[in-house]
Amino acid sequence: MTAETQSKSRLPYLSSDKQLTFIKLSVLSMAAILSFATRLFSVLRFESVIHEFDPYFNYRTTRYLTEEGFYNFHNWFDDRAWYPLGRIIGGTIYPGLMVTSATLYNIMQYLNITIDIRNVCVFLAPFFSSLTTIVTYLLTKELKNEGAGLVAAAMIAIVPGYISRSVAGSYDNEGIAIFCMLLTYYFWIKAVNTGTIMWATMTALAYFYMVSSWGGYVFLINLIPLHVLALILLGRFSSRVYVAYSTLYCIGTILSMQISFVGFQPVQSSEHMLALGTFGLCQLYAFTQYLRQHLSPANFELLFKALVTTLLLTLGSAIIALTLTGKISPWTGRFYSLLDPSYAKNHIPIIASVSEHQPTSWSSFYFDLQVLVFLFPAGLYFCFSKLTDANIFIILYGVLSIYFAGVMVRLMLVLAPVMCIVSGIAASSLLSLHVKDIEPKVEKHDKKKKHENNLVFRSEVGTLFVCVLGCLLVSYVVHCTWVTSEAYSSPSIVLSARAHDGARIIFDDFREAYTWLKMNTPEDAKVMSWWDYGYQITAMANRTVIVDNNTWNNTHISRVGQAMASTEDKAYEIMRELDVDYVLVIFGGLVGYSSDDINKFLWMVRIGGSTERGAHIREAQYYTAAGEFRVDSAGAPALLNCLMYKMSYYKFGLVYTEGGRPPGFDRVRGAEIGNKDFNLDVLEEAYTTEHWLVRIYKVKPLPNRGV
Amino acid sequence: MRLPAMAKLQFTLFFVLFLTIQTLSASVDTISSDIKLKNVDRTVDISTQLVKVVSKIVLENSGKSSVKHFLFAVEEAAKNNLAFIGAKDSNSKDLRLAETTVKGYDYVKFWRVELKEPLNAGATVNVVVETVFTKALQPYPTAITQQEDQFVKYVGNLYTYSPYYTSTQKTSVILNTKTVESFTKVKPFSQVDGTIIYGPYANVGPFTEKELSIHYKNNSPFLTVTRVERLIEVSHWGNIAIEEVIEIEHTGAKLKGPFSRYDYQQDHHSGPASVRAYKTLLPASASDVYYRDTNGNISTSNMKVKKDSVELDLRPRYPLFGGWRTHYTLGYNVPSYEYLYHSGNEYLLKMRSIDHIFDDMQVDELVTKIILPEGSTGIKLNIPYSVTRLPDSLHFTYLDTKGRPVISFIKKNIVENHIQDFQIRYTFPRLLMLQEPLLVVGFLYTLFLCVIIYVRLDFSIHKSEHKD
Repeated sequence: MTAETQSKSRLPYLSSDKQLTFIKLSVLSMAAILSFATRLFSVLRFESVIHEFDPYFNYRTTRYLTEEGFYNFHNWFDDRAWYPLGRIIGGTIYPGLMVTSATLYNIMQYLNITIDIRNVCVFLAPFFSSLTTIVTYLLTKELKNEGAGLVAAAMIAIVPGYISRSVAGSYDNEGIAIFCMLLTYYFWIKAVNTGTIMWATMTALAYFYMVSSWGGYVFLINLIPLHVLALILLGRFSSRVYVAYSTLYCIGTILSMQISFVGFQPVQSSEHMLALGTFGLCQLYAFTQYLRQHLSPANFELLFKALVTTLLLTLGSAIIALTLTGKISPWTGRFYSLLDPSYAKNHIPIIASVSEHQPTSWSSFYFDLQVLVFLFPAGLYFCFSKLTDANIFIILYGVLSIYFAGVMVRLMLVLAPVMCIVSGIAASSLLSLHVKDIEPKVEKHDKKKKHENNLVFRSEVGTLFVCVLGCLLVSYVVHCTWVTSEAYSSPSIVLSARAHDGARIIFDDFREAYTWLKMNTPEDAKVMSWWDYGYQITAMANRTVIVDNNTWNNTHISRVGQAMASTEDKAYEIMRELDVDYVLVIFGGLVGYSSDDINKFLWMVRIGGSTERGAHIREAQYYTAAGEFRVDSAGAPALLNCLMYKMSYYKFGLVYTEGGRPPGFDRVRGAEIGNKDFNLDVLEEAYTTEHWLVRIYKVKPLPNRGV
Repeated sequence: MRLPAMAKLQFTLFFVLFLTIQTLSASVDTISSDIKLKNVDRTVDISTQLVKVVSKIVLENSGKSSVKHFLFAVEEAAKNNLAFIGAKDSNSKDLRLAETTVKGYDYVKFWRVELKEPLNAGATVNVVVETVFTKALQPYPTAITQQEDQFVKYVGNLYTYSPYYTSTQKTSVILNTKTVESFTKVKPFSQVDGTIIYGPYANVGPFTEKELSIHYKNNSPFLTVTRVERLIEVSHWGNIAIEEVIEIEHTGAKLKGPFSRYDYQQDHHSGPASVRAYKTLLPASASDVYYRDTNGNISTSNMKVKKDSVELDLRPRYPLFGGWRTHYTLGYNVPSYEYLYHSGNEYLLKMRSIDHIFDDMQVDELVTKIILPEGSTGIKLNIPYSVTRLPDSLHFTYLDTKGRPVISFIKKNIVENHIQDFQIRYTFPRLLMLQEPLLVVGFLYTLFLCVIIYVRLDFSIHKSEHKD
């Protein structure tokens, strides 16, 4: 929109058509560059480093892929994780991310651009955000016009909801999946609008890329059939839609089944049934249309009724038979938790324990989207006011993703792009409506003159409105930059704090501990820790872990939880059983790092007690009589004597942490620890990092006989 | 094993060739009975992890004719630990040394020291021979707890080992500590402060050995650089980038039992044998220094710019106890005008083949790789000490077409005395400097040309009818 106004101020030597192209190009490229640049806070503030937990796994697998080649990667059995079970990596991941960065890496190597694979991984997400910006422009252009496209592109460049998963170093599937998703949508809209097989095939290819990179493709493969269904219901079904959807479904399904992690799910699991059903419905619908043309109404009526009854009966019995024989997988937990937010919490503690699976609070909508929250309804209005096939799609997408984002925090990511697109449409439509009013020379438009003459202070209202919207947009930019810089740009592998004199203190304890493990323990040492740190240990310390962030085996994790929650001698039995050499705990009591293992401890108890062998571990044992979770002397005896407590607080009772407090004062829990003077019998302190954040213990071998 | 006739022939040929080369290269010397050592004043410094022996020798020619050279011997027990040997005359000028053998003494290692001027009959000359031995100090006990001091055992020769007759000799052993558990007592000897002085002993025959054993406290850092890979990348645009990949192990007494962070933080004397930090000296012009490992930047280091060097205070991620290892990458840039000289197309690079890592360092293996600009030819390497040259290879990086030549060599057992310059001469046509900018210009030009052609021409087969 701003582009159009600016184009009036003349650039010499260029025709107005060229000026427009030039301005569009520069706005778009600036948005693309901005979306890359705004994600670099953490690199500038810290260093080019991979963030958090899952990205470390992705980084490790990418490194493996570049070193060993695709086939070894595909057949990779990882013996460093889930000891003694191991994990088949090739068959249990979405390889799109790794293949993308390995391809980029190999291309650059071929061109003699000697960039490190780590840097490729770190900058992949910002790079793909730039591409997302461009795709958003294209998509919105298809939906509305170029002006709306530019506004939407500028908005998605800095929207915090998307930045939260795509800052430099956040090397995760979502980083490229959003790009794939929007690309698929763009091609889909193109296919629906043109009805050509080419665009439908492009959609299928984009869909394949999406499937290969993120489990969230399920959302996409349900949204598109919904769109088709909606079109059928609204009587907008046409041969264009038929061609588009039939082609997409056939090619897309076959392609998606090539991903070994997906396998036969597209034809078996209930999550994909909507797509299959819609595909069948399309064929029937088209067939009936065809029959209707060739038969008399009476005959057609008879045939129609007979066909519908037989079809419904066969379909119904087939579905029942397949479900009973187990060919169609039952409704999985993750699916239920989407429909019913409390499902997972009540049934699967391991799902509920992940913070990003929690329902979204209202404030985080504003935090992540800011002005988009208010522009979104306006945008919906504009979509409704001129209903097209494409607009129906974006309305469906918007409404559905709002629902899902409300269920799970991490799905905010799916909502952010549609918010930007719809808000872009709103902002652009509103602006073009009012900017026209500011212009003094309206005499040319003869048709509109009648209406415009009725309005008083037309120009003033227009100016005011544009100013207000301008202010809102500026505040959006300020808010987004602030959120990005403050909330989403900490690598969480390096912590920083401010000292009293304002100097920055770096807590680099995680890498200190992992490097220590890597250099000073035997190559085949088995490390037990809570599953959160599994990926980091395998990636940075290159040691075998018992459990990791791929929480596929509940009993195994439960076993670790039981060890942590048991007394030393009970835990020793479990550790001997699991062949553990070292135990690693995170302890924040000295520096006040609150997401440490003591604060996660209740989850360990819950998960530990959730299986048969851990039935003796009950959550209530770890609470005081008043039902409180306390680490001081009033705490429950089961807590004060469990392995986790002892490992966290070993020798901590001697340390003075804060002035005016007794020794052993835990700065996270704000209490003096209850069990101070104890020794470890079966463990030996192997290493503790500088700020005590990570403590590593060595499991002693069995004592010699007769000693 | 049966070999085809041709192969047999070849084999014999090679064998004969090999023998000829062997006999030609290995020089054989004889021990001259004319030479006597009038006095030897030996200092054995075992206060660090190294054994540094400085022998001040007064050489006497008791024969009739003048001598040009004499032999210096290292006993069998110590010869494998010898890292460095150097000789100087009374004016501190370096003397030439060559390894040699003597018939009947295969187990001894000999060096032939060439004198500057022939030593006339009856005359004397002063020569200083410096030797450095690595891994000659054995921790005893081999494992200690966190709080314990480290004790080591030195086993050497009480007398100066020499193929010649020695009239008088004295040995002072510098320990820098009074805590000595036990030491060999052969009169006359005295113990003053941190030094034990043996001798003077008179009239010792050639090749005399008597065990000298000292068991004492030595808490100096026992750090061994197990491997260092030094990469020097020369750019003719004014910069030389240096990167060192270093692996370090604490080779002193191993840590026994737990590591207690509490004790380590409470008491600064805790872990006396551990290494918290060390200093690395870089050239004074070094800039853009980075210190990282495979997990990223190591944030615990300080840099001080001094007059003649840049001092880096490097702290590994964790303190190093006995048996603990660490590894890191240290890189920096230096301006090329200090090290690269040229006249016309001829270039000369003069740089250190290894640089300072920490004081009294011992390096097990050094690999130095020098990457010269693309298009360099006629490369000649010249190093003051013997190294094993590895086959040349090519390195590809930004804007390279046929690759940059890489010269690499390997050297084992290195100490500070090896910090010396190597020289590389090569030819580089200066016009080639234009290749890289032209490549970029050419690429952009083609790109824009393609875009222009694409935009201007209509490639569609079928004219669409919507647009007028």
